[in-house]
Amino acid sequence: MNQQQKSGKNPVVEFIDVRVTKLSPAGATMVILDRISFTALQGKITGIIGASGSGKSTLIRLCNRLDDPSDGTILLNGQNISTIEPLLLRRKVAMVLQKPFMFEGTLLENLQRPFLFRNIAPPSAKSDEITRVLDLVQLSSEMLARDARSLSGGEQQRVNLARALVNHPEVLLLDEPTSALDRPSTARLASTLSNICESEHLAIIVVTHDLYLAEHIVNHLIYLEEGQIVEQGDATSMLAMPQTAVFKNFLAKPESSSL
Amino acid sequence: MNNPHIIPLNVIQLVSAYALILLSLALARLQHIDHEKQLLWSSIRMLFQLIAVGYLLHLVFAINSPLPVVLMLLAMAGFSLQVAGSRIKKRMPNFYRVVGSSIIIGCGGVTFYFCLLVVGYSPWFDPRYLIPMAGMIFGNAMNGASLAAERLSSEMHERREEIECALCLGATSRQSAGEAIRNAYSAALRPTINTMAATGIVALPGMMTGQILSGTEPIIAVRYQIAILCAITGAVAVTSFLIVQQGYRRFFTDAHQLKRE
Repeated sequence: MNQQQKSGKNPVVEFIDVRVTKLSPAGATMVILDRISFTALQGKITGIIGASGSGKSTLIRLCNRLDDPSDGTILLNGQNISTIEPLLLRRKVAMVLQKPFMFEGTLLENLQRPFLFRNIAPPSAKSDEITRVLDLVQLSSEMLARDARSLSGGEQQRVNLARALVNHPEVLLLDEPTSALDRPSTARLASTLSNICESEHLAIIVVTHDLYLAEHIVNHLIYLEEGQIVEQGDATSMLAMPQTAVFKNFLAKPESSSL
Repeated sequence: MNNPHIIPLNVIQLVSAYALILLSLALARLQHIDHEKQLLWSSIRMLFQLIAVGYLLHLVFAINSPLPVVLMLLAMAGFSLQVAGSRIKKRMPNFYRVVGSSIIIGCGGVTFYFCLLVVGYSPWFDPRYLIPMAGMIFGNAMNGASLAAERLSSEMHERREEIECALCLGATSRQSAGEAIRNAYSAALRPTINTMAATGIVALPGMMTGQILSGTEPIIAVRYQIAILCAITGAVAVTSFLIVQQGYRRFFTDAHQLKRE
């Protein structure tokens, strides 16, 4: 990895005029996302905020091709993602879904799953691979033998994060990672994400309606309203001086307050 | 073609049997279960359907040519598909194409294997063998097909989070839907497995009973029953296998994306 890449200026994910439409049951065309353009940089956290139904989750699902856009281009390191084999793309662009999901079995077996999906021998409990991801999410190796489904919500969230990292992704997508967490767990997760972003030189894109993450770890902030980017820029400046009335209103709502 | 071993039921005897339906109606009314109309309607349908099938079979047996037999088999496949479809509330995408092709390949293949290679009668279209055996095979496989299709749909719906989680980790469509496919296939096979285990202890199967009534040696009737149960199991297994294998793909795009519901 060269110095330029480590400096965090390298564009990893680029959205260029992305549009998502779908047909309503009545047959009318509904615009879910309209003219979305932004860039996520390596070593930086991009936060996407907005009210429920603003298109945040739809947007993040386009990055690893869980869904495809109706129009526009999405680039990964300059290559159009529609030309990348989806299974390879999803190893490069990892995603943690909103609700943590644990496969049946132990914590170790959950961490081994991505290897089984690739039909390669899974690493052992003491391997560097497993130790690396456990360290990244601050989980103890003593927990590896535990039934994954018996873990607490916060622990399950960490296991999901660790499991997403075993493929050595270049991009990490997180959909509402704090929605089921209390404030201390949110703070801990925020610190973990910040460390991972720095140590792994990842581009992280996080969708949230919780301003805590936006205030504490997000570098580049995007505010979505009804499928359109209303404001985007440096997170600290945007939160200190919102430029549009709709973003000011969003910040003033009690459900988006973090403090 | 009268069988000297069997007592031919005349109209008076049939009317006497129908008295039992009247008894059932009276008991239903006594219990206020409000099913009298349904019971009466079903018994009338059964009467006319069976009389119609009886005359149709009489005609097909008399013609003794392959075309009407093949047409009857196709009609059986069509009815199986229609019944399987009407039983299911939430159908998988392309339901009729998936289930229809599976029934034709699974049941048709097993029926011809069984009739031509196992029993080995001649000519191949002999309606006395082919139609009742195909009827048993199609009827049972239809139940398996309904279960496989319905369970696959419900599993794919309920396991959406699990499937998307696996896809995010780099799983193929097949890998991500593995548990749903296994559960649907297992659900389709279970009744047939249970029937095999209980046959001869809990109930005497219809085919065997019919053969014994018409004068066949019980040992030979048992051999036929064993063979037909094997054929039914094979037909259910092949049809359900084809349904789950073709069916799960309909929930995904070529890019391993789970389609929206």
